[in-house]
Amino acid sequence: MAIDEKYTALINADIDGDIPADEQAELAAFLAESEAGQALQAELRDLCSTLDGEEMLDPPPHMKHVVMNSLPKAPAETESPGFLRPLFAVPALRYAATFAAGVVMAIMIVDSGQVQQHAFDDVTGLVGTMSDVSDLAPSVDSTIIHKADVAGTITLRRADPIVIIDFDLSTKGPIDIVATYDDKTVWFNGFAQLESTGTSISANNGQIRIHFEGKRRYAVYLHNADSRKLSINLQFFSNGESVHEAVLEYEGT
Amino acid sequence: MNEPDDTTLMEQCTKGDRQAFETLLIRYEKPVYNAAYRMLHSRDDAQDVTQTVFLKVYENLDQYDPRYRFFSWIYRIALNESVNVLKKANRLEPLDTETISDTRGPEQQAASEQLSKSVQTALMTIKPDYRSVVVLKHFLGCSYSEISEILEVPEKTVKSRLYTARQLLKEQLERDGKD
Repeated sequence: MAIDEKYTALINADIDGDIPADEQAELAAFLAESEAGQALQAELRDLCSTLDGEEMLDPPPHMKHVVMNSLPKAPAETESPGFLRPLFAVPALRYAATFAAGVVMAIMIVDSGQVQQHAFDDVTGLVGTMSDVSDLAPSVDSTIIHKADVAGTITLRRADPIVIIDFDLSTKGPIDIVATYDDKTVWFNGFAQLESTGTSISANNGQIRIHFEGKRRYAVYLHNADSRKLSINLQFFSNGESVHEAVLEYEGT
Repeated sequence: MNEPDDTTLMEQCTKGDRQAFETLLIRYEKPVYNAAYRMLHSRDDAQDVTQTVFLKVYENLDQYDPRYRFFSWIYRIALNESVNVLKKANRLEPLDTETISDTRGPEQQAASEQLSKSVQTALMTIKPDYRSVVVLKHFLGCSYSEISEILEVPEKTVKSRLYTARQLLKEQLERDGKD
């Protein structure tokens, strides 16, 4: 004999322990008079007991390692230059203006043989007073990189007597950038990093080496007292292998 | 020391902490693998789905909505991925029992496992929508409200599907018993 859908639902709810007291009483009254109802209840209880008693299978022991090894090394957004491009949307010219609005900027110099006393003051003073870097530090040259290991833009700006190398880059893994210039009268004046940490930099005579990983926005400041013509060679290394080269030129005044 | 909860681990993951992700992987690989196996009746497919699920989670960490429980999210991905596998293999329609092969080795087909085999075979004869609620309720131990959150359907629909699924399974097992 077919059982009313209402009581089938009540039997199921009862098995799941999800039945209100009044409906429990109604179900009990129904079952007391229905052998078919009692049979269905017993069958469903058996079925649920069987299902609940099913053992969980163990996944293959190597699966965890397979998953971990197949994860992208960096978070997904740094995986490829094409995907990264939208992340570079912050215009370079807003860099200093954003800072002026109160964004905390981390400044660090790990090792420099050229840093002059008060270099930090000079740098922060320079950036902090810029309300429109497009006027105060216009671009004089730039290069765009679209490599698998590193992507982004590097802009050379002038704010005499300071020359700024404005990096906006993202990498798949650790990258070393070596910037070299021949003019020995130009000296390393400081380094500023926007909204991030983890970049290390060292400066020696005519050479600056930067090491970082992931998405970074930072600026390197060079003091070019006579605003001379300046040529900066940039070499990019991934795991010790050269992956890109570029040259930025400043014609001088 | 208590292990951090899922939400804390997810926060750590979004900051690039792979160790936190590994903790989540250890915590959820078994239920995800079992959900996929119950949906697909294939250990190989279940393994593929499990790997895909965790990769998707990692690649979409920023899309996780912390207002919802992590397991709701990952179980939903697991079920969706399983259904995708069924779609690709044109297996969305329930199978009849004769076409369902047992993917286990002979040593695992002992008589004591006959009931388990019958249950899994019966499970494959019902539609994926019904199979999903059975998997979540009976194999993963989710409540009605949790299933509702995972499948993004009202609780009323969960109950309706679950009760129908049980009826269909019961009838299928009865037919098996008579064969």
